[in-house]
Amino acid sequence: MSRGSTDVFMSRNGKRMLVLFFAGFLVFLYLPTILLIIFSFNASTVIAFPLSGFTTAFYEAAWQNTEIKGSLIASLKVAAGTAVVATVLAVLVSYALARRSLRFKAAVSALLLLPLVVPTVVLGVSLLVLFRPSDPIVPIPLGLWAVLIGHVVIALPFCVLLLLPRVASIDNRLEEAAHDLGASGLTTFRRVVLPLILPALLASLMVAFVISIDEVVVASFLVQDQTTYPVYLYSGLRLSGQTSLLMPVATVMIVASTILILAAALISRYGERRAGLAR
Amino acid sequence: MAQRATMAAPPIVIERRAWSRRVQDRLATHALTTPALALLLVFFLVPIYYVVRYSIGLERFAQNEAAASLTGELPGFSMELWREFLDPGLDLEVFGRTSVHMPAWVFGVVFVALVVGAVFGPRLSERFGGWIRAASFLLLLAPFLTIPAGNNLLRVAELSSEGDFLRLFFRSVTMATTSAVWAVIIAFPIAYFLAFGIKKSKYIWLLVVIAPFLTSYLLRIFAWKIILGDQGLFNSALFELGLRDPDNPLSFLIYSQFTVILVLLYAWVPFIILPIFIALETVDRRLLEAATDMGASRLQALRKITLPIAAPGIVAAFLFVFIPSIGEYVTPSLVGGNGGYMFGQAIASQFVGGALNWQTGSVLSIFLLGVVLFLALSTSRFLRAGGGATT
Repeated sequence: MSRGSTDVFMSRNGKRMLVLFFAGFLVFLYLPTILLIIFSFNASTVIAFPLSGFTTAFYEAAWQNTEIKGSLIASLKVAAGTAVVATVLAVLVSYALARRSLRFKAAVSALLLLPLVVPTVVLGVSLLVLFRPSDPIVPIPLGLWAVLIGHVVIALPFCVLLLLPRVASIDNRLEEAAHDLGASGLTTFRRVVLPLILPALLASLMVAFVISIDEVVVASFLVQDQTTYPVYLYSGLRLSGQTSLLMPVATVMIVASTILILAAALISRYGERRAGLAR
Repeated sequence: MAQRATMAAPPIVIERRAWSRRVQDRLATHALTTPALALLLVFFLVPIYYVVRYSIGLERFAQNEAAASLTGELPGFSMELWREFLDPGLDLEVFGRTSVHMPAWVFGVVFVALVVGAVFGPRLSERFGGWIRAASFLLLLAPFLTIPAGNNLLRVAELSSEGDFLRLFFRSVTMATTSAVWAVIIAFPIAYFLAFGIKKSKYIWLLVVIAPFLTSYLLRIFAWKIILGDQGLFNSALFELGLRDPDNPLSFLIYSQFTVILVLLYAWVPFIILPIFIALETVDRRLLEAATDMGASRLQALRKITLPIAAPGIVAAFLFVFIPSIGEYVTPSLVGGNGGYMFGQAIASQFVGGALNWQTGSVLSIFLLGVVLFLALSTSRFLRAGGGATT
């Protein structure tokens, strides 16, 4: 750009205003969360400034609380299960969609993406109908398994959206070469395809995990005695004004998910670089 | 004989191999697709099919079954509940005064016509296409935009009774539209700034802006409760200053339509910056340079060049907020109170809450599903543009 050229997108004043707006937006975006983290360390159950002192007592109390612990463990199990099942299904079906001539290809991909637009409330109640306690249509009892199934349905489209472009971008000739050299289908998949889609695979696992561990609507219709953590948090927020015990766990989850996001960003960057090398 | 056999043998073998390979291929394809499709069939399509059955009386809720068998009533096809739901119709208020009664089907026809006009307008007529599209858009949005100043030009009359689910639905649409429009209004300058105002490490700032969307939704609502709740920061500041009695906090801050709209838009803004940003990135700066060289002001260039190019991204952004917000359930039940009660909550309360009538709940669910599917299908062009951009 030459020295004298003016910015065609914004005047100097316009830019100043946009900078201000952007800064204000960042405050709006992050302030609530930062306040939540600050007050989780505050030595009082009353949420007000000035802060009354630093304490980790609520963290200890939350750690001791068996209900919180139980719901967290349940959530982790469901999320891990969702991540694995949804990703495996998505890898298989993406591979078929990208590589094989498939009848009704358009219909299959539409069906795969359909859960994206269906309101989660509708999904939740329809699964409740399916597993209804008296005379169930599919004999699976309500509980964590039912939640897992619901979460796989929700997460599957996201996993397919992540994996399909990556699978489709693999050069066909790589697989043909492997085949000509005598590799079986499975070996080709394991030694050629899998390494190439590994970053997308990890991203898919992570996204499915994050979706499941935060999902409350479908879970709230399907849990029985053992709730998941979002359902516990949801009913805690709804029923009681007492949030001191919830804040520490919230803080831990915010920090954990931030780390996960950064990791995912790094992985996808690494994946791009690697895809660049493969070409 | 022997010679002929050896001559004939190879092609057959090859053919058989090709044939068996084709069968293998097909089997493998089935093996790859069947698990996912079976899962969606059993746990996605079949459940919705059963909800439809409930809504037309072919299935009955177990708790009603005892009562039904006493009166000798058997499950059978009936549109009674649908009629109950749709019969009240709507009242449209014009200029906040005159109200026009509209049966539900008239409204439905008008609505479908407007969506078709907005999406396919330019294809309907070469000369007036743009006008048809603009007018349809305006008429679609106008009734559902709550303007803070008060009386709207055109709007659906407020709820008259508890059980009027159709009006409750339109209130949810109003809330969803308002938060989606505000979300776009906030997201556009941010995306514009990210796309054109930042030269260095643009993508890091983009990540900073989007990251909150990826953290827990519930926790973000939780954070707002800490600020706006009865015992929250805002109210306790008022108590401290003696402006408000601790027994009498400002509760509209946390339990109202306003809060639902605020939290919904807070939750979705980070996400929709992305499609708008990507649409803006496709703007060729040489076009704008040409425009300014020919004497256009920056504002003219924005209106005539940048906005039309970014329009599909903006529409996609609007839909990304609007579609999930119509059926929203968690946000209003945490921060909505009575004033912010939404359609999704009504559905939930028919299935697990106080009202407990699965059949009515099914009617509401299928209605919501139908509207959302219609919107998603008719606008799939925009959604795909935006969705393709986000993945």
